[in-house]
Amino acid sequence: MANCLPFVFLATCFVTLTLSAEAATLTGRVDADGNDLRDVVVTAKPLNSIKKYTHEKINPVSMALDQKSREFIPHVLAVKVGTPVFFPNSDDIRHHVYSFSPAKRFEIKLYSGTPKKPVVFDQPGVVVVGCNIHDWMLGYIVVTDSPYVTKTDEQGNWSLELPEGNYQLSLWHPDSIANFGSTIDDQLVPTSKPLHHTITLKANPQTGKPPSTLQLQGYMDGF
Amino acid sequence: MAISKQLAMTNKDKLLLGCFLIGFCFYAKADPSLFDTSLHGLLDLRYQYSAARPGEAENGLGKFRVGGHGNRFRANEAALTLQSSLGWDWSGILTVKYANKQYNPLDLSEAFLSYRPVSTSAWQFNARLGMFFPPISLENTGTAWSSPYTLSSSAINSWVGEELKTFGGELRVNYQSKIGHRLGLFAAGLANNDTTGLQLAWRGWSLSDYESTLNDRLRLPNNIGIQANFPKQAALSRPFVEVDGKPGYYAGFSAERSNLYSVRALYYDNRANPAAISNGQYGWHTRFYSIGLKAELPWSMTLISQGLSGRTTMGARLDTLFPVDVRFWATSVLLSKSLNKHRISLRYDRFGTNEWDFLPQDNNREQGYAWTANYNLTLAQRHQLNFEVSQINSDRPARLNIGQSPHQEETLWQIAYRLFF
Repeated sequence: MANCLPFVFLATCFVTLTLSAEAATLTGRVDADGNDLRDVVVTAKPLNSIKKYTHEKINPVSMALDQKSREFIPHVLAVKVGTPVFFPNSDDIRHHVYSFSPAKRFEIKLYSGTPKKPVVFDQPGVVVVGCNIHDWMLGYIVVTDSPYVTKTDEQGNWSLELPEGNYQLSLWHPDSIANFGSTIDDQLVPTSKPLHHTITLKANPQTGKPPSTLQLQGYMDGF
Repeated sequence: MAISKQLAMTNKDKLLLGCFLIGFCFYAKADPSLFDTSLHGLLDLRYQYSAARPGEAENGLGKFRVGGHGNRFRANEAALTLQSSLGWDWSGILTVKYANKQYNPLDLSEAFLSYRPVSTSAWQFNARLGMFFPPISLENTGTAWSSPYTLSSSAINSWVGEELKTFGGELRVNYQSKIGHRLGLFAAGLANNDTTGLQLAWRGWSLSDYESTLNDRLRLPNNIGIQANFPKQAALSRPFVEVDGKPGYYAGFSAERSNLYSVRALYYDNRANPAAISNGQYGWHTRFYSIGLKAELPWSMTLISQGLSGRTTMGARLDTLFPVDVRFWATSVLLSKSLNKHRISLRYDRFGTNEWDFLPQDNNREQGYAWTANYNLTLAQRHQLNFEVSQINSDRPARLNIGQSPHQEETLWQIAYRLFF
């Protein structure tokens, strides 16, 4: 019986830990001037986690930023630090993808299909991606060191599965007047009702889509 | 002598074209995957009603290219642009066009190589080589140098289309800031621009949508004394010839941020020898400052303003005076609003010339202003319907020579169907 005591103690501890780490769903909605806002990156960072969170433990899955109809799809991609990102080319023309953002400087020459080697995003920050052949193409890869990250859907809704606890919540959108990394608020999980945030947008945001007429797509003055 | 000079020019043209074709073939053969070609173009059909004096196309002093009283249908322009990548850093651009009353029915309007390597640092280096427009117009950003805002270009850009084209090389260095501002310095060496300025002096400013081509000829106003004062001048002006063998240049700076603003300023000097003449074409020493601002305003509004001021001199100097010494200036403000498939634009132009030379009988002074209003509707990205009216008020004393009042008010109504592909 005495030999069993350590096991009972350990089992009790395990149950307690499991209970304290019980998953909860945090949901919210984001709008801008009353309109649903898609592509808002929402991150949650634990404030008083029992385990110290490190990058190595994320083991992120690879993701893709597609080029389709001379546009980056999706316009905003949210990834965790260390994520390999593939750049498939679904168009039948070439793209020359590049970024000179400090978080990741790279250049890929894309024929058709997907290059075998992904680009690994190993530093947090916003990586602005362009195409040297099609000036209007614009995409954003948001690289975060938060363990919990998601994006709003077309209706501006988001949800995160995360253990109960206290979190620092951040929201970012490429057309927002606020800079990347500006924290919105501290949040205790679970909450009784869904969250609601409003973002102020810039006056002339860049959509990253081709110009609306062929008149403006078919001319290159080279300057 | 005259014939051999003409042939020399033709050979130069052939050389230019040959370089392109050889370049294309070389890359196509070397690696087909590096050879990516696209074809774009436009077709522009017009219905026009004008109440105006005969213009450049009719050897007149009218302020539109074609004047007269009455209406007409015409195929205004058809252009084809071939864009081909030559590797990842170079591309070739070739535009061939037909235009109403163009000297050669089919001719080159742009032919150049563009060097634009990707830069993953803040510094970027670009170049252009061949025959291309100097970076003056902020309105002509569409297929084959068309404008998405109006059919008739501003006074400044009409002149750029008629008489200014770089035959040479241009280098540009850009610095891109973290938040997207791009600051650039550029300079170009150029040739074949020695008659630039002639139209501004003898015909004056105008509103047109004509881009002169490689082997083009422009008409001169009749009966204002050009033949009497300058008997060596040929009946037609060649906008792109080298008269004295002296290269010219321009240099300037640019600043821009996508979807926010664009500023360009440059100083241009063709360094032509005004005393030179070759095959009936005088050297016109033309130099000017140009500045342009484009700003994207809230509510999908765009503001474009350009200004240009300079001087052109022609002929052998007598003491301190030239036979022709004209100061010219022009400015324009355009406000445009787009709403889905619709666009409304309004532009105001103001222009003038003055002169200090020893031939008072060749009076090249003028003052004027113009209004242009345009509405266009674009369907399925490619079919564009335009409704436009332009009115120009101008005073030009030389009109007395052809029995016209110096003051003229001229109006042009246009309906255009433009197809882009």
